[in-house]
Amino acid sequence: MKYEKPSSAMHSLIGRLEDFDRASGNRVERAIFNHRPWVILLCLLATLVLGWQAAGIGINASYEKTIPSKHPFVVNFLAERSELSGLGNALRIAVTAEQGDIFSADYLDTLARLNDEIYLLPGVDKPYMKSLWTPTTRWTAVTEDGLDGGTVIPGSYDGSAASLDEVRTNVARSGEIGQLVAANFKSSVIYVPLLEINPETGKALDAGEFSRRLEALRDKYQSEQVRIHITGFSKLIGDLIEGLLQVALFFVAAVAVTIAVLFWYTRCVRSTFAVVLCSLVGVLWQVGLLAAMGYELDPYSILVPFLVFAIGMSHGSQKMNGIMQDIGRGMLPWVAARLTFRRLFLAGLTALISDAVGFAVLMVIEIRVIQDLAITASIGVAVLILTNLVLLPVLLSYIGVSPKAAQRSLQAEQADSAGLARHPLWRLLDRFTTRRWAVAAVLLGLLLALVGKGIGSQLQIGDLDPGAPELRADSRYNRDVEFMNDNYAASSDIFVVMIRTPEDQCTRYATLSAVDQLAWRLEQLPGVESTNSMAALSKIATAGYNEGNFKWYELVPNDGALGAVQTRAPRELFNQGCSLLSLYVYLADHKAETLNRVVATSEAFIAEQQLPEVKFMLAAGSAGIEAATNIVVEKAMQEMLYWVYGAVILLCWVTFRSWRAVLAAILPLILTSILTEALMVGLGMGVKVATLPVIALGVGIGIDYALYVLSVILARMRAGDSLSEAYYRALLFTGKVVLLTGVTLAIAVATWAFSPIKFQADMGILLAFMFLMNMLGALILLPALAYFLLPQRAFGAKSEAPALPQPSGAS
Amino acid sequence: MIGNFSFTRALPLLFTALLLPGWATAQSAAVAQIPLLDQPALHSAKAQRSVLLALTRAGERLVAVGERGIILLSDDSGASWRQAQVPASVSLTSVQFADAEQGWAVGHLGVVLHSADGGETWNKQLDGVQAAQLALQSAQQGDDAKLLKAAEWLVADGPDKPFLDLYFSDIRHGYIVGAYGLILRTSDGGASWQAWMHQVDNPEGLNLYAIRALGDQLFIAGERGLLLRSSDGGQSFQALESPYEGSFFGLLASRSGGLLAYGLRGNAWWSSDRGDSWRQLDTGVESALAAGLELNDGRLLLASQSGELLLSGDGGAHFDHRRTREGATVAAVAQAADGSLTSVGLGGLSARQDIQAVARP
Repeated sequence: MKYEKPSSAMHSLIGRLEDFDRASGNRVERAIFNHRPWVILLCLLATLVLGWQAAGIGINASYEKTIPSKHPFVVNFLAERSELSGLGNALRIAVTAEQGDIFSADYLDTLARLNDEIYLLPGVDKPYMKSLWTPTTRWTAVTEDGLDGGTVIPGSYDGSAASLDEVRTNVARSGEIGQLVAANFKSSVIYVPLLEINPETGKALDAGEFSRRLEALRDKYQSEQVRIHITGFSKLIGDLIEGLLQVALFFVAAVAVTIAVLFWYTRCVRSTFAVVLCSLVGVLWQVGLLAAMGYELDPYSILVPFLVFAIGMSHGSQKMNGIMQDIGRGMLPWVAARLTFRRLFLAGLTALISDAVGFAVLMVIEIRVIQDLAITASIGVAVLILTNLVLLPVLLSYIGVSPKAAQRSLQAEQADSAGLARHPLWRLLDRFTTRRWAVAAVLLGLLLALVGKGIGSQLQIGDLDPGAPELRADSRYNRDVEFMNDNYAASSDIFVVMIRTPEDQCTRYATLSAVDQLAWRLEQLPGVESTNSMAALSKIATAGYNEGNFKWYELVPNDGALGAVQTRAPRELFNQGCSLLSLYVYLADHKAETLNRVVATSEAFIAEQQLPEVKFMLAAGSAGIEAATNIVVEKAMQEMLYWVYGAVILLCWVTFRSWRAVLAAILPLILTSILTEALMVGLGMGVKVATLPVIALGVGIGIDYALYVLSVILARMRAGDSLSEAYYRALLFTGKVVLLTGVTLAIAVATWAFSPIKFQADMGILLAFMFLMNMLGALILLPALAYFLLPQRAFGAKSEAPALPQPSGAS
Repeated sequence: MIGNFSFTRALPLLFTALLLPGWATAQSAAVAQIPLLDQPALHSAKAQRSVLLALTRAGERLVAVGERGIILLSDDSGASWRQAQVPASVSLTSVQFADAEQGWAVGHLGVVLHSADGGETWNKQLDGVQAAQLALQSAQQGDDAKLLKAAEWLVADGPDKPFLDLYFSDIRHGYIVGAYGLILRTSDGGASWQAWMHQVDNPEGLNLYAIRALGDQLFIAGERGLLLRSSDGGQSFQALESPYEGSFFGLLASRSGGLLAYGLRGNAWWSSDRGDSWRQLDTGVESALAAGLELNDGRLLLASQSGELLLSGDGGAHFDHRRTREGATVAAVAQAADGSLTSVGLGGLSARQDIQAVARP
């Protein structure tokens, strides 16, 4: 091979340290490599300081951070929330009587003690807490004298059979069956609205801590007689945080797999150690920086440190491989490190900046947890520029690599130059630069894209199953959700329509009639279990005001009579000033299609509304907020892809200055994105706050591979090589590391499929798929596309100044 | 007692308000448009679990009526039900068929519906706005100043008053009664209606809850112990001396010629002499009695709103206490063609209850 000769000549020139021109290379390279002890020292200092910071990182997720604060639904909810009682983040704690029913003195006593302890927990929105024992739980009965009422557990309650009978009667007429009391009378619920800020600490309510306290109460009160079920956002977050130890163990396992494969490949302790060390240092710095900036990790961004590690491994391996090959060619470690830095720094920098920008564009999604994740991921990737593009080469320049390993790394190249057969895998991959194979690969890619798009079009927004998809179906949390769904008609999935009227006019007939109409329309929808509103209460109250005769059950068009109902109405149905009504819609689940139906029907109704001074507003309640989140996520999904691809395309163009090269790099990524969506459909995953960023992260990972392979191909072709030759060189240099890291990381994250936390398992499968697809895209589809997009003649005659540093072999 | 409001007690107040200029027009403008009067009832999967207020037989068929214009039909004694076509979406309070085809249902907002096909389809014969106009026209022809004032108020206040019961002696002749002493009658199957308040001895305008015939006499029961009788074929109604000061919600004329009036607080009174004297039955229940029925076997069945079923085989001397299935509340009961019991209430239908086996308390 003719280009080997100048290369060997160069080796002899710089084989010795004193022969190397210390003033060569650009300013950055000189700054780093001429002051190596300083670099090491600074990194050591940074590691110490940030490591100390990292130890203080908190883990939490506040409810309001997971909701889209700019969406009109949420804006309406937040604007009215002071007048909406307990409609935000809330827990439901069902206490089950294992023997007999809830009308026993023992049961009610246990319930009372649990109720009191929960009442005292910091962060509970006390006035709106509700259970059989709270004074807000009242019964109303129609009697011939009008409406009668009182607390469900009477003040005179003494645990006697007579007073238990009274409680039984009161429960029956409280209207709480299916809401606070199960229809089979074997359990009752303590409804616990939570504050966003813990008044004791002045900080966001710590879901993990709150959940631990609840578990302590569960342990304390759960017995042969009583079982306790707890559901709600903060409990879910608490359980996820509780599961973080297991999540972390799977991270450790993944890191171990990565180290093992890397060592198996290199057979060199020193270089493996250096790459892993630098990647871990990167993670440490990231976490330290986040802690220093006051950020917390949340269960949704917990994967990010691992992703940073993975990306670090990918870049680190490239550097390490380059240095190893140069050392194998006979250079000193210091020189090898410096030359590798020279050749790969720009490609690595571009890739990492693409990653960082790709993650940063997630900022456009107006949901705080995703914005936090964008910052978290961007910082992590930015840190890698220092640890894996700078610190790693410097480190390797000191410790070098094992000589045997260095020789091994060049086997293929040497075999090739010795005229021996190329490795069959490289020969196979090289075929994709030939016409027939390229056509086949591109057609196959196109076919996959079409099929993937078809399947991916069924991708649902939001949760697809009842319960929390982050946890396994048989997890305690989801079993508790199932219990609630089985025993309580009014689930925790509540959609609330808010109705603003002029002051003191909320009970006008026209208004209530409209509310009643909307309620009845919504009740027709599949997934809507029941509704409750001032209109519904007014109907039964009218019967009450007429000696309890059921025949008066109607919303009578008489404003005076309707106004009189106010005195008997619970606060959750209307506000103090009688200018805000709440229509409660109890849903069977929070599936996206259920929410969509409710929103569509409500919006159609609102559009028809002609009452001039009455404003129907969507939406509060857990399901209302979820509906808003789904709408934002759906929109964000498209926006996010435009931004991520926009950023990546721009950076690729800046690097390659060739739209053809940009296409060759981007098209495989798009295929991966499409197939990932199809896979999500296959796995039964919906797009939601937790899963939305994954596709963007996938693009970020994929662009690394494309940049490393394509930059070498372009450089070699600009130097005059054929596409086939250039690709073969790229395979031997960066391509094999792409293969290595792609497979390694895919295996590593695939182990997550066994995680007890379903969120991690799902992410593991998705990420493994994306690592593999991106690798295959870079090694198969990219050269095939290059066959069409980068014909020889585009480079042949030209000898323009290359945009990229030359690989070592070229002069 | 905490909240306490009654239309009756508010009446003097409203009359005072009527004297203020402008009140009447403002009110009528406010209630001029009530779309529910002309809004066809929605066919709903939840109809059987909706509030149902009355139940009757049209031949072999069971017909249940209730909130939002829901009318349900069953041709298999309650095993399966389907929803009829109804042109209004208001609560229907009572239903009666004069034969297997011709039937009427009355309800809130002064609605009267008619069916000529056994309940499959219904058309609206009257609503509260028209009823008030009829009352006004009728009062203007007479010279009773008080009646005229009440009629003017009826017009001004809009259709906020329900009809609560009806009685058709055949397919042409019938009466509808309701809140505030409303009573209208027809002699052409509902094609035209005459306000009949002026022929009824109800000076306080008490709510009329039930109207039934016993032989050739007509009886009306109502609020605050009101009992009325007509012995002239409905031309005029005279107040009877009442044994009870609480409200009566229903009347039952037995085949043996006895008359039963029942209502608040388990009150049930029996008259063997066509209303001249009354004897209290010991029902042993505290809640209001909503329905009374003479079963095929001659036994008497009373049902309380809270779901108690009282059976008596000896003309009300002793009652055997049962409960509806799952303790369902009761607004009305009927015996189906197969002898099983159907009840309706706030929770909807409870069909095919075995009268012998209905749950003991």
